[in-house]
Amino acid sequence: MISCGIIGYGFLGRILAKRLADYRGRGLELRMLANSKGYLLLDGDVPPGDITPLPRFRASSPLEPVERGLVDLLVVLTPTNVRTGEPGLTYIREALGRGVDVVTADKGPLVVAFRELTSLAESMGVSFCYEATVGGGIPIFSLARHSLMGDRIISIRGILNGTTNYILTRMHFEGLPLDLALQEAQMMGLAERDPSLDLEGIDSACKIVILANALLGVDKRLGDVKVRGINQVTSDAILAAKELGMTIKLVGSIEGDRLSVAPRLVRLNHPLCVHGTLNAIEFKLDIMGDLTLIGRGAGESTVSALLSDIEWILNRRAYLRGGR
Amino acid sequence: MRIRLTLGLTDRPGTLLRALERIAVNGGNIISIVHSRERLTGGYVPVSLSVEFPSHEHFERAKSGIEEAGIPVLSAESLERSIETVLIIGSIGVEKLERVFEGKGEVISLAYGGGRRSPYVRIVFSVNREERESLISSLEELAERNDCLLVREEV
Repeated sequence: MISCGIIGYGFLGRILAKRLADYRGRGLELRMLANSKGYLLLDGDVPPGDITPLPRFRASSPLEPVERGLVDLLVVLTPTNVRTGEPGLTYIREALGRGVDVVTADKGPLVVAFRELTSLAESMGVSFCYEATVGGGIPIFSLARHSLMGDRIISIRGILNGTTNYILTRMHFEGLPLDLALQEAQMMGLAERDPSLDLEGIDSACKIVILANALLGVDKRLGDVKVRGINQVTSDAILAAKELGMTIKLVGSIEGDRLSVAPRLVRLNHPLCVHGTLNAIEFKLDIMGDLTLIGRGAGESTVSALLSDIEWILNRRAYLRGGR
Repeated sequence: MRIRLTLGLTDRPGTLLRALERIAVNGGNIISIVHSRERLTGGYVPVSLSVEFPSHEHFERAKSGIEEAGIPVLSAESLERSIETVLIIGSIGVEKLERVFEGKGEVISLAYGGGRRSPYVRIVFSVNREERESLISSLEELAERNDCLLVREEV
């Protein structure tokens, strides 16, 4: 039986924990739930399908069960700090270094230490999966690494932040000023109380860094991205774009060595012109040409990506067992 | 792609024909030829040709072929133009904009809006494709110097 632990027991953690109850028959058991303050071991006395309301966690380092060898697969869902990568960076580094497979939705550690973590996983012979860090449930990395293996990615661009896309959509269709559209997004739980990471384009820039490092084999950091946010975008300017059959979207792009995030004029019939909280990502491929994926970029759909990574690890482990 | 080639021909029969052969074998379709006999300089007569090539590679091969035939290529300029739209959000004077466009692009329409509260200017212009990035970069620099935001089109 593979023992799974989750660090970060918030919105995503709770949904994932419930879903993992179905995996017992597949050889995976949820053994640990943790947050920054402590952890709870599930030794059979707490049924994994019935772990709400929030149980009392043992006040200790959430890494203790990992250090004691009780976890084979760690899911890290900690809040993102894009400058330091912490606390997720320490959790992932420790787990990989101890030969534990890791799945994460936390962008910070990948933005700060992508090469270090992927090299560590490779040297330890373990899996390090991060499908949920970009585009929510849209299968970007798995598609690029498997279905597109025979082609070559020339460039990538996309609408990568659902919060700003929602705000710009409301400004386009309702003529709302940015501050009102933001308030609405906050009331709906789509924007944080401090929305600066979204509005200033930092969240999109983090995703661009991860995409570039993971799919184009470069070693980029947040400082390598030229970033302009949507703070200066006005509803009058959007109306001026609308008069010419366009709108304004926050577009992240990777072209050669140039990484950028900036508001762009996008024609209303352009494949990237998606509305609301939708994300869209477009690959320009050597053989296939353009390929555009559209889907929900945040919320519960992210769990789909986490489960996809977990499935991949289960299959890999089964394959390795069979190979021996 | 359409290219304006200016060749320096010696005033001897058959020189132009050799150049045209190199263009033809590389798929070039000649749109016009202007032969400026009166501008004879340094023993050369400048001849200006507008040619449609299937690709940049075809043009490069034709250019190399002409030069290998001993005919100097005095200039080669793309005649491809694109129509661009940009929005500059913030307040920016028309004189500053005109200076950026001088000799680089032609403004098709320029519309100010948003009043004092949220000013913007929307510019539609045509530009030689080879100079597009340079012109948009100049506009972007101008916008940043004036605390404005340039929003260009994603194509």
